[in-house]
Formats: sequence, structure tokens, C-alpha cells
Amino acid sequence: MIDNIEQSRLFPITNPRSLAIFGASNNYSSMGTIILKALMAGKYEGTIFPVHPKEDKVQGLTAYRQVADLPEAPDLAVVVLPTKIVCETLAACGEKGIRHVIVISGGFKEVGGDGVARQEEMVRIADQYNMTLIGPNCLGVANTHHRLNTTPHRFYGDPGFIGLVSQSGSFVTQMFAYLHNLGAGFSTAFSIGNEANTDLVDCLEYLGACPNTKVIALYIEGIRRGRKFVETARRIVPHKPIVALYVGGSETGKKAALSHTGALSGPDELYDGIFRQCGVIRAYSIIELFDICIAFGQLPAPGGDRVFVQTHSGGPGAVAADACGRAGIRLPEPSKSTREKLADMIPATGSIKNPIDVTFTKDMPQFLSDLPRAIIQDPACDILMLYFYLPAEMVKRMLLSMGVGRDEMDQKVREIGDSVAGIVKGIIRDTGKPIVCFSYHNREEVAVRSLAASGIPFYQGPERAVRVISAMILHRSFKRKIEEQAAT
Amino acid sequence: MPEVPDTTTAVIMDSAKQKGMPALSEYDAKKVLSSYGIPVTREYLADSADAAISAARKIGYPVVLKACAPHLMHKSDNGLVALGVNTDADVQDAFAHICEKAGGTIDGVLVQEMIDGKRELVVGMTRDPQFGPCVMLGLGGVMTEIFRDTVFRMAPFDAVEAADMTAQLRSKKMLDAFRGEAPANRDMLYQTLTAVARMAMDWDGIREIDINPLIVSPDGGLKAVDALIVTGGGSDD
Repeated sequence: MIDNIEQSRLFPITNPRSLAIFGASNNYSSMGTIILKALMAGKYEGTIFPVHPKEDKVQGLTAYRQVADLPEAPDLAVVVLPTKIVCETLAACGEKGIRHVIVISGGFKEVGGDGVARQEEMVRIADQYNMTLIGPNCLGVANTHHRLNTTPHRFYGDPGFIGLVSQSGSFVTQMFAYLHNLGAGFSTAFSIGNEANTDLVDCLEYLGACPNTKVIALYIEGIRRGRKFVETARRIVPHKPIVALYVGGSETGKKAALSHTGALSGPDELYDGIFRQCGVIRAYSIIELFDICIAFGQLPAPGGDRVFVQTHSGGPGAVAADACGRAGIRLPEPSKSTREKLADMIPATGSIKNPIDVTFTKDMPQFLSDLPRAIIQDPACDILMLYFYLPAEMVKRMLLSMGVGRDEMDQKVREIGDSVAGIVKGIIRDTGKPIVCFSYHNREEVAVRSLAASGIPFYQGPERAVRVISAMILHRSFKRKIEEQAAT
Repeated sequence: MPEVPDTTTAVIMDSAKQKGMPALSEYDAKKVLSSYGIPVTREYLADSADAAISAARKIGYPVVLKACAPHLMHKSDNGLVALGVNTDADVQDAFAHICEKAGGTIDGVLVQEMIDGKRELVVGMTRDPQFGPCVMLGLGGVMTEIFRDTVFRMAPFDAVEAADMTAQLRSKKMLDAFRGEAPANRDMLYQTLTAVARMAMDWDGIREIDINPLIVSPDGGLKAVDALIVTGGGSDD
């Protein structure tokens, strides 16, 4: 287990000061060129050395005919070449003194036949030169804090906090925009491909020590070093949550079992128990995986498992309570002092039970400021589930009645959204308790965009919010279990 | 749990290896479980009707008679089990019937105490290529494969993990007081689970284990009523 990230043999791959790229040219449609262009568009700050057998310049950069001609041995080589010349290029990189490589090219173990032997040759070369190699058959690495992106998809967002190890490249690249829209992003994301020399457990260990990574997401089709995975995850979970989507199709094939136990031990059942054993939260979809990661990264950890629900009408409150009940989440009664505080703010038609139905107040923003602040301070409240309903339509009506002119209306509506988001963030900061916002709105509502911009998670529908809350509660119990086991 | 390693398992495993049998007989499997502190039914292996009657009297009626041999892995399907045998005469008949059905290639007939209890669990072990030995706890009895209420953990693990494993079972409520029967002895269950895990770590030659059913008696105690230990079909070293 590494304590300092710079000790990791993966550090020069994720934080290279310079890199050579093989396979980029002046042909805009080649994969190598697309990757180089994405790297440049992302404003990578290190030195880039394109290697090309014929060109003097590639995309405006000085190109080198062969790796031996490079003025230095760069920290990293990114190989996007035709399959048949990958191994000879790796050997040349090794001779030059390059010790870290990402092989994007495919045509190895994943194609079977000759590909298997080609991959064995690759592993042999990597061993010979003591190389750390990611891939082949992958999209490589995106480290947003280092402006490194070896994938073909461009990334323009801000540096994020979710570390990802994925056995599919698409869940690196195709999540850039998805996460950006939700006010989140990757710290470092690995597409690990065939895991010839560096596997999921190596990358997991790296992210466990990565200071920019607040939560780790895993997309898993099969774990090879199962026992090492469990050991590594158990060390990380007490200080950093791990969330995994496992979709079967693993190599966990077993011989015809003679026992009932053998017949019942499908990979899904095994992973389910083993994730729990090592404290890994299991997600059941990509949407859920990132819903949970965003909450872990943006909200404080709850101090218990008791939830209060605040809504302004019966239906959403009842549906939220139902979702909580199905998940086995307790909704305690508000204390006497909370009831007294709220009595002054809630009309007689409201309900000071849990869910707390505050009904429609005249002052919409008060619904999202004074009320949640009063409720979350109840000693029985560990987590507040807040119906975040601030439609621009109603804010406009309020502003019109206050004499705001139509020309400045849009600006004012945005300001109110930002101000309310700031207030919610302030309540979370002041109390150290998580607020999980939900409604049936989406990003078309300006106030929902304000939340994302302020770094506050928002979920469409209480079911998604409840899954996130369950994950937070589960993480707390996993952490306690692992600590208890360490103490005995 | 014996602190000094018991030689029972070593002797039994050695003999199984020499005979090249795919599994231990139920009688031997129970001896192995017992040496790991797992509670098993009181039982005797009888080679004659008279021996069976004398065993039944020692145990006390009613008793169960079962054909016993390493190759008999799923006995109840083949008429090789007689339940609720109440008299000496019935023991005599059941003994003869089982020997006839089994066709002569058995170690003997197992005479064991009849355990009643409405709650049946299954505890088992299987080896996964990536995770190694994994222990299963589940709802036992004839409905095991219908409900598939099972939970796995990678061996080895401690009692805290065994408790968490039990908490993950959908039918965990049946371990509380249930229809006039006492709550199950949880510590005994956790000990059984951790012992199976340890057994898998100690013996590479044990490929798979089924304890099905592990019955919870009305007083909350647990007992392994049937047991299968598979020793063949894998590399053992």
C-alpha cells in the first residue's frame, strides 16, 4: 500500500512532464491525431514529442522520425499505432529509456488467436525494460488536475474529485460532459483495457493515495486479482468511499460443481458478498454510480442514519417517505423545540411531522433557507432530504410584484437561484450535516443549475436521492465494521 | 475450538486421497466438521441390523437411517434415507431396505438422532478462480435453490464479518424467536461460518462443502444434519 502518490509507479503516467505520441499525423481522421488534438485542446502543459516516420511537423509541433531521435527520454509514451508495429516500438522506447507507456492500440488478447501471443510479447518487453504499461486496447488516462487527457474525447471542464477505474473506455470519455453538467468531474480516470501489465487493483491503490480523489468509482466486468482487491479496498474504505458497478460477464467460470454451494455461487452473488466484505458500495447502473459518487464528494458524511424530509406539499412528501421506507430508512419525529420553531414559520395547514410538509409559503426563498436551517438543527436529524422546488416562473411572479422590470428579470432570477444555492451550501457548511436536494425538475430550471454550479448534489426524483442516502448510511456502517475488525 | 490441531481431518483426508474418492462419506464429513467445533448430529455407523438397533437404543427413538458411502452425494432422491424410525422392528426393516436399494457398495448404514426444528439453513464453501475459497450462508432445506437466499464471503473472516453476513440474509428474521421456538444461537452460527472458512484455508484438498440442512432446533441450538465434503475434481497439494 502506498501512502504518498509520488511513490506510485503510476505517477509518471498520470503526471508526465513530457510525453511522446506515436500514431499522430497531419491526417485529421486518424485516431492518433484525434488524441493529440484532444490533448492540445485540453491545454496539456508538458512537452509533446510527436514521433512520425515522414513528417517534420505534426499539428504544428516538431516531429521526430524515430524514438531514438528524441532529445530526451520523456516520462510517458502514448502508442496509437497499427497492431503489428506496437511491440517493436515498445522495444525502441525501452532502449531510449522510456519507462511508462500507454498502449491505445487493440488487436491483442481481446481478439484471441495471434493476439494472445502478441500480448505475451508485449508483457515480455515491458518486463525487460521495467516498464509500467497501461492497456493495450484502452483509451488511457485523464488527469484533469494535470491537464492530461490521452483519450480521443476532448475535455474542457474543471478539475474534479471522482477517481475512476474502468474496464470500458466509454465510461471515461462519455462521462466528461455528463459529469460536467452535474457540477462534478474526474480527478483521474483510467481506462485499463486488457490489463496486460497494470490492472484494476494497481489503479485502485493509486486512487486511494491520490489527494485530488475524494471518492473512487469502479466499472467492473471481472476482477483478476480477487484477493488483492479485497485487501486493497479494505485499506482504502475507512478514509475514502469506493462505489462499484459490476455487470457480470466475468472470468469466474467454474467447473461443474458437485455441491449445492458450488451451483449457487454465481459471480453476481459472490461479488455482492465480497463487495460488502471489503466495504465497497455496489451501484446497479452508471447513473446510480455517479449519483452516489457526487454525494460522497460534495457532502459531509452523516453522523447517523436518521433522515428528515422537508416538502411543501403532501404528494412529494408521501412519495419520499415511501422511498425511504422501502430502503429501510427511519424518519424520526421532530423534537419539541423544532416543532416550536417551525410553528412560527409554517401555516396552520402544514404538518410538523416527518415528512415535514411546510405548505406553500408566500416567501419562496424562505422555504429553502430558514426552514431547512431550523429543521436540520434537530438533534434527531442526521440527513435532510430537501424538496428543492424553485421554479423560475414563480420567482418571476414574485419579482414582478416587487417591481422588478422585465429587462433585468432573467438576471435577477439567476441571482435568486445562486443566492438560494449559496444559502443551502452555507447550512451544510455550518451544521456539517448533508442536505440531499431533490424534485422532479431538471437542469432546464435555472435554480437547479445554480445548485450544480455551487457544488451541491441534486437528484431528479426521491428514489435517486434515497439510493444516495442509503449509500451514505451503508458506507458509515462499512467503515465502522472495518474499524471494529481492525481493533479486535 | 481445539487449539491443538486435531489429527482427525488429516487422517480422513489422507485416506480419501489414497482411495481417490470424489467426496467424503457423510460419517467422515461430520467427523471433520466436529473437529472444527461445528455441532453435528449424534450418530453411529452400523454394519448390521443388530448394530443399528443397538445404536438406535443408545441415541433414543425416533432415529434416522441413511446409506453411508463416499459416492452417495445426494441420498434422499434415491430412497436411501429413512426418517422418523420409531421401533427396533422398524430399524430392522429400514436397514434391510436401504442395503437392498444401495446395492452393496456402502460403508454401512448411518443411524442418527432425528432433529426437529422448523428452521433450516445451509452453510457451504466453494472455490472461485479469482477470490479463492468463499463461504456461503443461505436459507436451507429443499427450497434452497428455489429462493436462492444466499450470502457469500471470501475466507478467512472473523465473527464480526459472520454477523454482517447473517444480517445480509433476506430471511434473517427466522433467526429471531419463531413460532414458539427460541432465537437461534447466533454465536454458534458465527463460529460455524468462521470454522468452515478456516477449514477451507487449512485444506486445499477440500474443494467444496455443503452443510444442508443446518437445523435450528426449538431451543435455538444448531446442528449439521447432513454434510458433504467434496475432495475430488481439483488439484490438491
